[in-house]
Amino acid sequence: MFRRHIPHQLAGLLDGELPLAEKKRVEDHLAVCGLCREEREQVRMGMSMLKHLPPAQAPDAIWNAIESAWPEQQQRSVAWFRQWFGQWLPAYAVLAVAAVAGIAYWTMVHRHERLWEVVEIHGSPGGGQEPIRKVAGVGPGDWIETDASSSARITVGQIGSVDVGPNARLRVVTTSPLEHRLTLERGEIHAKISAPPRLFFVETASATAEDLGCEYSLKTDVQGLGLLQVTLGWVSFQWKGIESLVPAGASCRTRPHEGPGVPYFDDAPEELRNALENLATEKFAGSSLDTILRVARVRDTLTLWHLLSRAGVPDRARIYDRMAALTPVPADVSRDKVLELDAKTLTRWKEALAWTW
Amino acid sequence: MLRLGILSLVAAMLACAEGFTFVIGSPVASQQFQFKAATFVFRTDGCGDVGTQQVSATAEGVLKGERQSVALKVIPGSKPGIYAVFQTWPTEGQWIVNLKGTCGNASAGAIVPMGPKGFIRESAKFFPHPATESEIENALKPLMTGGKK
Repeated sequence: MFRRHIPHQLAGLLDGELPLAEKKRVEDHLAVCGLCREEREQVRMGMSMLKHLPPAQAPDAIWNAIESAWPEQQQRSVAWFRQWFGQWLPAYAVLAVAAVAGIAYWTMVHRHERLWEVVEIHGSPGGGQEPIRKVAGVGPGDWIETDASSSARITVGQIGSVDVGPNARLRVVTTSPLEHRLTLERGEIHAKISAPPRLFFVETASATAEDLGCEYSLKTDVQGLGLLQVTLGWVSFQWKGIESLVPAGASCRTRPHEGPGVPYFDDAPEELRNALENLATEKFAGSSLDTILRVARVRDTLTLWHLLSRAGVPDRARIYDRMAALTPVPADVSRDKVLELDAKTLTRWKEALAWTW
Repeated sequence: MLRLGILSLVAAMLACAEGFTFVIGSPVASQQFQFKAATFVFRTDGCGDVGTQQVSATAEGVLKGERQSVALKVIPGSKPGIYAVFQTWPTEGQWIVNLKGTCGNASAGAIVPMGPKGFIRESAKFFPHPATESEIENALKPLMTGGKK
């Protein structure tokens, strides 16, 4: 089910203007939503400030200066205006200043919290609850949950959107302009991010997907068994020092207590994909690596490049030799440096190999 | 002496642009997030002075039986010598992208066929000269045959 926030009903609630049923619904929501309770206090404070502002008289010198500067006809208008509104004008001015200050304060306090919104909802939440039809802001600490018959779209500030599939549960962690982060407990999301890299993160139980300017789908169960599929750009898939760089057209599995596996292109030979699956359990002890090396195409150097840093030295040498046989090694990439897992050399090689991916 | 000087200069120019050619790749190769939605990216190899090179591209195709040509804007990347091509030609019909480049006196050309899932790397052709009209027509033929299937 979705949590439906009630920002537009708060002023009515405090003024006692809500119908009874609506009042009960809003109060029920406030009982379970810290974000809305905090917002209610902000609204209450603003209304209280306005009620306690004292009326004040403007000095005559102000009016004299205004009248002397205007032509006679306009002075008559000013006199009329002053007669009718003059005595309240200072109070209105104070109110206006207070309102502007209140809005500025509210905006400052809530700026980071209001960056995300649920903007589209399909189906209805389960459990016999009222279907949700309105958009709602979501902030840090909020959970978004869909049942078997519902899905939702969330805007992630100004940088993109996340489609939440059925039976998903996720929590908003951070909505700062410098970092947007959510935890996907279970289910599937599809993220489209148009911002510069490293602004959007999705955590699962066994890996964190870091956006490097991309579009991708990510699904997981509560234990952390999951799959990342990238359709545009790159995603960095990480866990405890392990990193898999997954480009468009490739996928990467993640497993509980192991983190992200080795990425592979979706059009890779089935034999390679099966062998990669077995390798994860064999830990290089069986014949799966032989199969991978045998059937790998030029494009599968994506998989081989990742295997370099996960294999022991003897296997690493075999992997290097197969890669060198598949595609020319750049002059500034030496075998020794690769076998030492020199980070600069591996990055240089990856950048060259990416022209074949 | 003058002849020797001229020969040396010509030799230096040729060496500078030795093996001048195009290399094509998927958008991820550019390592630039702004290019992630490009149709493909390409770079030049073998040009000693990347600042002097010039590249251009056109989409050549057949749409509803009519031969068409669309000038393309080639977007330079943040790294010198890397460019992106975005699709501005019609989604219908059969198309190739014709790349042309010069580096000093050297020139290069490439024909990159387009398929329903993007560029067809395996069918791309590279030339030490701009592709001729007949080379373009020959590249379009198999696409048109495939399109009728």
